[in-house]
Amino acid sequence: MIQKLSEKDIRALKIGGVCIAAILVLVLVSRWFDQWSKAKDTLTQVKAQLELIDVDKAKQAGLLSIVPVFEMPQKEETQKFLFRNKLNEQLKKAGINSKPLQVLPGGKSQQAGYRLLRLKCNAKCRFAQMLDLLAGLNENPYLVGIEEFKVRCDPKNPQEVELDLTVSTFVR
Amino acid sequence: MSNNANDAESRRSAAAIAHVDGRLKAVQITKQGEAFEVLWAKSSKAPDADWAGFASECGLSIALTEQAKTDGDKTLPWRVAGFGSAGVAFYHLDLPAAKEQELAAMVRLQAETLLPLPVEQMELTWRTRPTQAGKAAVTIAAARREYLQKFVENVRGLEPAEILLDCEAIVKVWKELFVSDEKDAVIVSLAARNTQVCLAEDGRLSNAVVLDTGMEDFLKTANDLSDLSDESDFTYKAELEQTETTERFVQDIKSALESFNRIGGPIFVLSDGSSAIEGIVSCLKSAGLNAQAALPQIGKIKVQKGFGAVALYEYRVPIGLALMALKMPVEGLNLFENLYKPVGKEQKIPAWYSLKIAGAIAVAMLALFVIVSYAVDIISPNAIQKRLTTSDASTDIDLLMQRQKLIKTIALERPDLLDLLSIVNESGSIGIKLDSFHFKKGQLVSISGEAQNSDQLYKFQEALQGKTGVKGAEIQSSSLDSKSRKFKFTITFHYKNFTQKSTRT
Repeated sequence: MIQKLSEKDIRALKIGGVCIAAILVLVLVSRWFDQWSKAKDTLTQVKAQLELIDVDKAKQAGLLSIVPVFEMPQKEETQKFLFRNKLNEQLKKAGINSKPLQVLPGGKSQQAGYRLLRLKCNAKCRFAQMLDLLAGLNENPYLVGIEEFKVRCDPKNPQEVELDLTVSTFVR
Repeated sequence: MSNNANDAESRRSAAAIAHVDGRLKAVQITKQGEAFEVLWAKSSKAPDADWAGFASECGLSIALTEQAKTDGDKTLPWRVAGFGSAGVAFYHLDLPAAKEQELAAMVRLQAETLLPLPVEQMELTWRTRPTQAGKAAVTIAAARREYLQKFVENVRGLEPAEILLDCEAIVKVWKELFVSDEKDAVIVSLAARNTQVCLAEDGRLSNAVVLDTGMEDFLKTANDLSDLSDESDFTYKAELEQTETTERFVQDIKSALESFNRIGGPIFVLSDGSSAIEGIVSCLKSAGLNAQAALPQIGKIKVQKGFGAVALYEYRVPIGLALMALKMPVEGLNLFENLYKPVGKEQKIPAWYSLKIAGAIAVAMLALFVIVSYAVDIISPNAIQKRLTTSDASTDIDLLMQRQKLIKTIALERPDLLDLLSIVNESGSIGIKLDSFHFKKGQLVSISGEAQNSDQLYKFQEALQGKTGVKGAEIQSSSLDSKSRKFKFTITFHYKNFTQKSTRT
């Protein structure tokens, strides 16, 4: 059969074969490149995620000094009690006899997926006790921030102060 | 000097040309077994003959050599040129035995202090001879680069395979043909217009100087004497010993020996057996030097008919050069290493210099790079996830991210109230009494109290303003209490970014 083919036919077959091979290679290469670009995208995403987690040591130390303990926020019903109990515990530890803690209506937070819940504390205490409380507040793992802090001195007894403190926590 | 072992197997013949007594002299020598044979010897007719032209006259055609290279014919002679060492200075150093690279550095360093010109203007070469007590005796040969370059230009047409020092040829020829048992000696070679004095140590050139006095000076003196006297040879020698030329020559030889540190050592005066050289040897002996004439041993080398001891003496320099060239590798001090690359000694071009091979390597490297990049991109994300899971089974990358994000947010939400109270406390001097302190996110910090006088109040405000993190400290109100005669005041200020309205959580 092959012997019957002319040189022209053989050349045409060769060119055809080369073209088919080239098309196959092109198809395979383009698919390969698609797969590669997807892999690259995935890698870029993972790297971006890693960057968020992987804070350098100095920054991490700075963060730890401000937020030494942290618990992920729970649903409002749970978080409210956890936060209140912990704050109450901290008040007692500082020796502050507070009026009942007031839960203030929740507000929006800039953190997507979370709302703010506030607790207000009103108490009369000594100045040193107030300082103790402030020093230990960061140990509350549910605390987000101090929203309001008001101190008034008693003119008759300068060592005694009236404290209004509003603190916040995140709730889901 | 030679490049490869292949040359060592095939080099059987060498032709050398040297400038001797104002003419070019050439010989070709072959080696058969252990025996040498002078095939031919030729001298240029014109005093200042061209090297390439003379080589052609001698049948050392460059075209033939090129043809031999392409045909792989190695029977054609290895061509060498002799460099007159009048401008070459020799130095000696005793250095601690070390590796060659370390020695090279030491030699270079020492040479800088020895050379009469800056090292950039000089070419130097060196070789070592092991001595006792772990030292290496280093012989350095140095010459002015410009001088060497001129010589290279002169001989370039000849395309010599080597350029060797003629003083080395003298030591070589003395050792091979002017037989002596001595290995350490001073060899004196008288030319027409100068005399070479070479120091051989361990059978190799160690130092050399060129004296201005040559055979022509002695012959002139001898002619003058023969005009004056018909006495016997004995009387002639005695008279020769007293001439100004011989006195100067003896003095120069003594100076050379002193510089070689070889006073009292054997001196061999290369001789053709002529009475003139005998007379010179006699002069040296009379001056107390251990001199003797060294005659060429015709039995040591095969020669053509009619080529006797006188011819051997006449062609001693090219013969020495050719004998050096026959030995593989050539052990000459190569002052031309950086200045002259013989055509046949071009460095082998590595295979990857080929465009095709380099291209193929580049394509292969590119393909490898692409494959590795692809593999890394495919494997990395999974590997990172796997690593995180392995290090902590409960790790959820999303949860970690969320937690980290929340911690960062909280860190921005927590004012350091102890720090703020401390700032206020530090700013107020004695006499300032605070009644209340009010901080609320998104509002100015407000403090109120009383001061003894307005000066205290202003100082308090200024001090507050100067504290880090405090901005815009303003006295909102101040009034004099008529009863207590004190100033009641309220001051507000911003603390970091907590009091900006936009910072509300």
